[in-house]
Amino acid sequence: MTELSELIERCKAGDGLAFREVFRCHRADVARLVQRMTGRPADLEDIVQEVFLQVYRSIKDFRGQSRFSTWLYRVTVNVVLMQRRAAKSRPVLHEAPDEAFGADGHDLPDDQVARARRVSAFYRLLDRLSDKKRAVFVLHELEGLSPSEIAKIVSAPVLTVRTRLFYARRELLALLRDEPALEVVAREVLSEVEASSSLEREST
Amino acid sequence: MSRERTPEEQALDSLVSELRELPGPNLDWARVEARLMNEARSGSSNAGPSFFARLRLPLAALAAVATGVFVFAPRHLPTPVELPSKPLAQVQHGPIDGDRLALGTRVSAANQQVSVEHAGRARWTLEPHATAAVVDDGQFLTVRLESGALSASVVPQPKPETFAVEVGGTRVAVHGTAFRVERTADRVLVEVTEGVVAVEPTSTHSDPSFLLRRGSRGSFGLDGRTGSVEGNASVVVHERGPKSHREIAQAKPAPAQAPKASSAPVAVETAPPEPVTPPAVTASTPVVPEQPSIADIETGVSSAVDLMNRCFRETAQSSDVRISVSTGMTLSIAGDGSVQSVTFEPPLAPDVEDCGVAGLRQLTFTKSISGATFTRILELKR
Repeated sequence: MTELSELIERCKAGDGLAFREVFRCHRADVARLVQRMTGRPADLEDIVQEVFLQVYRSIKDFRGQSRFSTWLYRVTVNVVLMQRRAAKSRPVLHEAPDEAFGADGHDLPDDQVARARRVSAFYRLLDRLSDKKRAVFVLHELEGLSPSEIAKIVSAPVLTVRTRLFYARRELLALLRDEPALEVVAREVLSEVEASSSLEREST
Repeated sequence: MSRERTPEEQALDSLVSELRELPGPNLDWARVEARLMNEARSGSSNAGPSFFARLRLPLAALAAVATGVFVFAPRHLPTPVELPSKPLAQVQHGPIDGDRLALGTRVSAANQQVSVEHAGRARWTLEPHATAAVVDDGQFLTVRLESGALSASVVPQPKPETFAVEVGGTRVAVHGTAFRVERTADRVLVEVTEGVVAVEPTSTHSDPSFLLRRGSRGSFGLDGRTGSVEGNASVVVHERGPKSHREIAQAKPAPAQAPKASSAPVAVETAPPEPVTPPAVTASTPVVPEQPSIADIETGVSSAVDLMNRCFRETAQSSDVRISVSTGMTLSIAGDGSVQSVTFEPPLAPDVEDCGVAGLRQLTFTKSISGATFTRILELKR
């Protein structure tokens, strides 16, 4: 029996220390996935906490038929989707641009500001996808999971996952083309891509 | 054969890889873990949050638009102070659940009061057009008042300090009390309606500079180092070094008389007792020599602290539970050196107080013309 399986068994038996260990081992992965799926909301901590509360409540249902990380991702995706649905009923005023500030609230160098602006714009782009498409896109493109693993997480056939991925990507490309605010971002990225490939050519 | 990627595809791939390389969020894991374990323990017998609890926030949010109350979420969660913030959402009519506010979240009241409740700890109410942010929700719940005024009601706790309002460089810390703090252009106005409030610089909050009790009020500089008090308040002057409280004066019934030690980092201003709307600040008053000497007060305070600790330990029920209690002990010394009165704020258990008062009345200080009154925060443990 692996160390993780032992921890899970102890969790199932109500061992709080084991649960805390599971939390500590996996919290960074969960927080990263939540951030990527939501674009760093103000209630990131609350969502992460809710994910682990769900884990605590339903770990008895984990039968070990898939990897624990897959099951945990499934719980995370479900909690995020639930939170997003709840958030839709709350009126949001507006979000001030925050890309010019670092973690300490101070100004960042220009390149970092530009990068932060691109990241922020990309999150806005992702936000326009449907929940299902965004989930598979994030899990595949950002988390690097295979379609078959994603299929287990989102409870859908692999073919459906591939289809959602295809359409998610196509929609994002269309948004990049049509969205004036993102056109600047695309141009910036392209100029960087071109600059780096010309550097490569020169070096060869 | 592979086709050439379009510029949009290249841009998309580049954005994706950029996002993939970003580090994960840096949350306050200790806090998340503490909350989680707490929730897990309390919820282990339940299937989950109650139906009402699940509905509470969304319903409250739906009811928000009419109130003109705004909650601002912080840009960066882990850093508790001086964060630029961004508006996020409108919130509700009733009290906002303070325990659900992310650290650094700013709350701003438009035309109506807005209350924030931290269950079992404190409730603070912003007056119209005031803005405040929760900057610490750990052991010391701390709210930073950015503009306007707030009133707070704090649940008494057996802890040295449970709630504080920071205004500029001034910290208003309380121990189970009700009070109001207002920020003007360059002053902090504090009015105490219940209990004891300590006003001190935010940089050094181990010892209070001013102690305000029920019915008293004061006006302080934004650095927390200068101020005037009126009513039942004490001015406590600190010196650097191992002994913190060196000289003590009281503002009742006469105006506060604050000894001015050359090495003291706290500059004290005193004010006449009437009127204080708004409180007027006058020049510092020199040391009053009629009071007992510092050495005498310190000796008496040491005896009083020892006595109270003994009383607290000896009146304990046999138990394995460790208990610590904090209270402000105020001693009034008559001109003949006898102890005139003793008060504990918040009160201690009757048997502990009885034991303490009986012993304290046996203490004798050196004679002086006007006597003295001083307050010492006691940390009693058993």
